Amino acid sequence: MLNYNSPINETKDFNNLKMSEESPIMKLVIRGKKREFISKVGKLLNILLPNEPNTSTVGNNISALWLSPDEWMIHSNDKIDKNNNMYPIEEDLINNIHKINLGAITDVTDQFTMIKMEGSQIYELFSNSCPFNFNDFKKKKGAVTQTIINKIDVIIHNKEINVVNLLVRRSFSSHLWSWLNDGAKRI
Amino acid sequence: MTKNLRTKASKFIDETTRISFKFDGKVYYGYKGDTLASALIANGIHLVARSFKYHRPRGIMTAGSEEPNAIVQVNGNSAYTEPNVRATEIEIYDGLEASSQNCWPNVNFDIGGINNILSPVLPAGFYYKTFMWPASFWEKYEYFIRKSAGLGKSPTKPDPDIYEHKHIHCDVLVIGGGISGIMAAKTAAENNFKTLLLDEKPHLGGSTIYQNSDFDKINNQSSSTWLENEISKLKDIKNLEIKTRTSVVAYHGYNFLLARENLTDHLPFDKKKNKIRQRLIKIRAKKVIVATGSIERPLIFNNNDRPGIILSSAIKKYSDYYGVICGNENVLFTNNDSAYETAISLFNKGIRVNAIIDIRDKVTSSIVNQAEKLSIKIYNSFTIVDTSGYRRIKNISIMKLSKDGQSVTGSKTQINCDCLGVSGGWTPAVHLFTQSGGKLKFDYDDNVFKPNKYPSDQISIGACNGEFDLDTIIKNFNNNVKTYLGIEKTSYENLNISASKEILKKNIWLLPSNKPIGKTKSFVDFQNDATAKDIKLALREGFRSIEHVKRYTTTGMGTDQGKLGNMHALGIISDTSGVKMSDLGTTTFRPPYTPLTFGTIVGRNVGEFFDIFRKTPMHDWHVKNNAEFENVGQWKRAWYYPKKNESMHDAVQRESKAARDGAGILDASTLGKIDIQGSDASEFLNRVYTNAWSKLAVGKCRYGLMLNEDGMVYDDGVTTRLDENHYIMTTTTGGAATVLGKLEDYLQTEWPELDVYLTSVTDHFATISVCGPHSKKIVKKIIPDLDLSDEKFPHMSFKNAKIGNIKCRVMRISFTGEQSYEINIQANFGKSVWEKCIEAGEEFNITPYGTETMHLLRAEKGFIIVGQDTDATLTPIDLQMDWIVSKKKYDFIGKRSLYRSDTIREDRKQLVGIITEDPKEVLEEGAQIVADVSKKPVEMLGHITSSYFSPNLNKSIALGVVKGGKDMLGKKLFVPMKNKVINVQIADPVFLDKDNKRLNA
Repeated sequence: MLNYNSPINETKDFNNLKMSEESPIMKLVIRGKKREFISKVGKLLNILLPNEPNTSTVGNNISALWLSPDEWMIHSNDKIDKNNNMYPIEEDLINNIHKINLGAITDVTDQFTMIKMEGSQIYELFSNSCPFNFNDFKKKKGAVTQTIINKIDVIIHNKEINVVNLLVRRSFSSHLWSWLNDGAKRI
Repeated sequence: MTKNLRTKASKFIDETTRISFKFDGKVYYGYKGDTLASALIANGIHLVARSFKYHRPRGIMTAGSEEPNAIVQVNGNSAYTEPNVRATEIEIYDGLEASSQNCWPNVNFDIGGINNILSPVLPAGFYYKTFMWPASFWEKYEYFIRKSAGLGKSPTKPDPDIYEHKHIHCDVLVIGGGISGIMAAKTAAENNFKTLLLDEKPHLGGSTIYQNSDFDKINNQSSSTWLENEISKLKDIKNLEIKTRTSVVAYHGYNFLLARENLTDHLPFDKKKNKIRQRLIKIRAKKVIVATGSIERPLIFNNNDRPGIILSSAIKKYSDYYGVICGNENVLFTNNDSAYETAISLFNKGIRVNAIIDIRDKVTSSIVNQAEKLSIKIYNSFTIVDTSGYRRIKNISIMKLSKDGQSVTGSKTQINCDCLGVSGGWTPAVHLFTQSGGKLKFDYDDNVFKPNKYPSDQISIGACNGEFDLDTIIKNFNNNVKTYLGIEKTSYENLNISASKEILKKNIWLLPSNKPIGKTKSFVDFQNDATAKDIKLALREGFRSIEHVKRYTTTGMGTDQGKLGNMHALGIISDTSGVKMSDLGTTTFRPPYTPLTFGTIVGRNVGEFFDIFRKTPMHDWHVKNNAEFENVGQWKRAWYYPKKNESMHDAVQRESKAARDGAGILDASTLGKIDIQGSDASEFLNRVYTNAWSKLAVGKCRYGLMLNEDGMVYDDGVTTRLDENHYIMTTTTGGAATVLGKLEDYLQTEWPELDVYLTSVTDHFATISVCGPHSKKIVKKIIPDLDLSDEKFPHMSFKNAKIGNIKCRVMRISFTGEQSYEINIQANFGKSVWEKCIEAGEEFNITPYGTETMHLLRAEKGFIIVGQDTDATLTPIDLQMDWIVSKKKYDFIGKRSLYRSDTIREDRKQLVGIITEDPKEVLEEGAQIVADVSKKPVEMLGHITSSYFSPNLNKSIALGVVKGGKDMLGKKLFVPMKNKVINVQIADPVFLDKDNKRLNA
């Protein structure tokens, strides 16, 4: 049995801001251009892939984040079994999408670390180093953006008002976590 | 604090909170709300600094950020020390220590004051003319020049303060919280614009907020009462964010602005701790309303720089805002009505005004009439021709102006004073407007430059737009702001305004004296000691452009950037040269508007946040096992693992030997990994790499070289075919992001017809590379179900596998020349698999090795490292890798360039192996390779790219690039070093196991 080591594995509570790593969460990047790809994914996942840029849809078990005109990230809404990385959803998609050349299915579960943030000070903290305009974004449930925080590429998913999933590449995650903690102390 | 220098209580000053501070080592007291300048004046201190060049005694001259003289060093030699702090801007706090700059032994007696006596022989350009010869003396001159350069002392200790950055986006940014700014911010926010209002002072209201003139009324209230009421309404307006103590320092294109927010500079040390000192705000505004007001000008006359000579508006501010009296015997010198406001305000407080000297003829505006009614002595058509008083002004000499204002007539009259207020009119603060690219026009009525052409979505309103009367400001506000914001009405359309109107204007840039100009000291730039005489000298010496005159005389080049004197410099040039002001233009206003600390610019990008770094999943294991790290791209990679007192060389020799003799383990997680899927994936690889990919069988791996369009090697790596339409490409560690970007660019712009999708999986996988004769046994222990036989799992092939329930990919590929397996597993299991490999390999002396050993091992095998052995000037043919360039493929990136006349030259630099005559001699990487050491100049054939001592071959080996190297096998060459010449020989670049026996063992 292998041990599971997520990069952050802690929860921090600050003034109107709580942060923790959400792990393990299954994450897949799916890519395709054809209309059939969209409809097939919709049927397989029972979710409508968002076609409006920088938006997301949330299903019963998974969420889909728009990343580019032919690219989405889908992730499990709940934590998965850490002792098994064979995902039935991935297998279904590979068999019904990749194998018939409708598109690409790539497991990125550990490519990204998901940091869940809750509280009214999230965007105050982000604005310390993120040039993105969050004025409307933070009021829009389900909004998604790909931007930089402290010079690090991130995906921000405004899950609910004052609830954010921050996705960062695993190798950067401990550095970003350290930066978030440093700034959060003073907000 | 001298009680008689405080007027009755000011609401802006908290007289219940007394604050002690030190100036030049002596303890003084002030009140909460005082600036250092107001507190010093309240203590009767006017002499605060010495000027830069002549070391003349200088006093506080203004009450704002334009201050040229009163710049001080704060907080002594502590880590908090800071030079060039404007006494007019810093608020006092308990424990503040400030001292005068540019003087020794003290500001009252300064040895450097001898320069003032020598001033006749120290004109503008003195240094340029004097220190040109003899040339050999420059180093001697330089020592003294450098010693006297600059003002204040830089801190020598690390800055203990915390700084931050912040991004703000708004619909409307209003710069300046004076009456225009307040009205603009309120109007914008009330009309649903997300508005940000910034002001550099602690309180909003600009100069109107302490206005007590009976002449300026709005709706029959004093303008200050009216404005106070407006300010009180601001807090209830949502959409409006207000930041005081915040100064806009830069206005860039497309409404991107930078502002510095002072958060704790006004607090005592115990209250600053762990708080952010200053914040750099990066603002992106859809619309910008500039309401930065105007700066009062001094007047240029002989000896106009003595302590006690203060701008008239500053005297009024010290009196009305800070409750501080600048002098008991005041005289005002003016060319406009503003000084009369000051005179009346002082008079009403019972402060003596001995006279008003006005260069204009008899003036009949209501405010002037009021001054006359108060029996204040007014000298019309007079000018000051001289002043006296060394450490503080004592008296002035005045004479009648001639009709044309160019000379003086009659006899001198002397008037005693301890404070002289000067007012030369007002200069709109157009600095930010021009920084943004705005073009100015000259207004000959007011003698000011005003905004003319806006480069972005912005507007200037109020005094910074050349509107100086209250009724003009309000009237223009309603018209201009309504149009600008696209709104129908403002709340200020029916205001009843009454204000004194200025009737007569007169401007003389350089006031005449009874002495020839050569005998006068009429200062234009107070901080740099540039005089009117210097400017005229520059013109006589042939300087014509305002930019050249500025640099020759240093006018406008201090920390104040000439906010007071620049207009006069232009005026004097215009008058002297006969060039119209409108044709002359201004010098360039560059950011920052006011000085910024380095801390503010840097923000939190210090210490651990100086640069970002990436960690592999096994990083903590490397740290625990004493690894030294090197930065590769943004990664922290284990470099080598020293044991006890091992040097790097010893550790690398041990690791290399262990990897060849037993087993080695390397963390290769940093290599870029790109997942490639799609029905055209093979065709895509054919176009990207130089070799052919269509026939690569599923489950096999192949090495590829990627070229730039110019045919030069760009990246390399092994790509594995996972299934028919699915590959995984590896790239170099540092090249991963750019390779992915380049490939995605090609797919989107050049080859949109290809059905190919790329996804980075660099971080998803931990890559553990186990190499050496025992590697197979170790991997077998970890994954017992995997058939590792050479038949089933030969070199350059891949298998899917599982460790427990966790799927992984195993590649048999090698960068060391040893039999080698790479386990790619989901990153969160990487550390566990690594530890299991270490445990399983214990019996085979498995040794973790870092990048340095990896480099040595691959060099033994003659494998290149892109970026070390290549430098974007080498083709695959130059690397003697002709075998990897397909002749059959129709095209691939860079193919055409491989057949250019230059790329097919035989004498290009080519990669070769190099061995030293003395096998113990290790060459230096970067060392030059020559054929003839005696030839002058020496002809350099190439250089060493990689060099190591190989413990496995027991000799020094190197790779290098040499002109025509591939036809020079066995040729003897030389590597000249500082103290010796090393004899070398060109060799085959593959030093070890040319037949690949170890790989396939």
